[in-house]
Amino acid sequence: MENPNLLSELEHLKISFDGTAQKLIKNLRRQEIIMARSDKRQRIEYDELQKKYDEVALLNREIEDTQREVVFMMGTIGEFRSRETGNHVQRVASYSKLFGKLIGISETDAELLKQASPLHDIGKIAIPDAILNKNGPLTNKEFETMKNHAQLGYDMLDFSDRPILKTAAIIALEHHEKYDGSGYPNALKGENIHIFGRITALADVFDALGSKRCYKEAWEDVRIFDLIKEQRGRHFDPKLVDIFFENIEVFLEIRDKFSDD
Amino acid sequence: MENIFIESTQYTPEISLDAKNGVIDLIGKSYPENTFDFYGPLLKWVHQYIETKISTIDKTSINIELIYFNSSSSKLLFDFFDLFEAASTKHNIVVNWIYAAENENALEAGRDFIDDFDVLKINLVVKDQIEIST
Repeated sequence: MENPNLLSELEHLKISFDGTAQKLIKNLRRQEIIMARSDKRQRIEYDELQKKYDEVALLNREIEDTQREVVFMMGTIGEFRSRETGNHVQRVASYSKLFGKLIGISETDAELLKQASPLHDIGKIAIPDAILNKNGPLTNKEFETMKNHAQLGYDMLDFSDRPILKTAAIIALEHHEKYDGSGYPNALKGENIHIFGRITALADVFDALGSKRCYKEAWEDVRIFDLIKEQRGRHFDPKLVDIFFENIEVFLEIRDKFSDD
Repeated sequence: MENIFIESTQYTPEISLDAKNGVIDLIGKSYPENTFDFYGPLLKWVHQYIETKISTIDKTSINIELIYFNSSSSKLLFDFFDLFEAASTKHNIVVNWIYAAENENALEAGRDFIDDFDVLKINLVVKDQIEIST
């Protein structure tokens, strides 16, 4: 005998089972749609992100290059006015970076020092030609005027908050200070002179002595080295002088690489 | 029953559940940290609205304007539309899927919903004008 109750119950179960199966199939299909849609969107988004990232990297490089070039060009302007020979600015920049690395400042600061270095004499553009390019020694009064270039350079550069120009301002102001306190403009002493100033002082003098200027011939190396030794702890930071002689070959390599000949 | 209003955040849309006028709005972006937790109260509200309130409302409008949403939100929208699909045999319910003309993803997602729901009325609305309807 058939049991109508059982049959209707089975029928009911079948319908309910079909419904659930349909729902599961539907959910599976939806899941696929959602995943496919999501994959497609992620691909587009990631492509977009990469494109944007490349653009930002390119712009960053552009900004950095422009900054470097403008700073270098400003340095060249100063150099042209004081009719200094060719690669002085480049050599001082390279010596300075080397000093920085050897004395243990960070790679970032050493690079900053190198990039800012060309502006150390920028204040000279405000010094009259008659003094700047005078053939022969300056009178005391003329020398006093000439000394203003340190403060003038600082005043020109200090308006900016850019690290490169802030660095340049320090270098411009302090590169004529002397370790024993006999320098200008502020007669700072020892480590009160910023390391950038102490480095530039030695790098600048080392290079200037070896180059021909309107007021002097180029010095022989022996004479230059004697002077640097003699000025250890007087004009120059003794630590930097030691570093200089310990690494003299590397400094001379830079001099050869950016030689004026 | 109470209306619910939730301000938008960086990851979640503005949500307005207006039981009195039968209007539901979802506007903004949807990629919450825990999508199912975030939308739990909303689904609960919709259940209650369909059970106790919808029969007193002439027309229920659901306006969805999502410029960005994650996969889990997409799943939740399907669940959400399931409830209204079932109710739409007896009640007047309209979904307006609103998208900006340049947002191709939003348009395609809207089309997927239309494909998936036979009874529920879903309009694709390009910002400020009605384009296609099912």
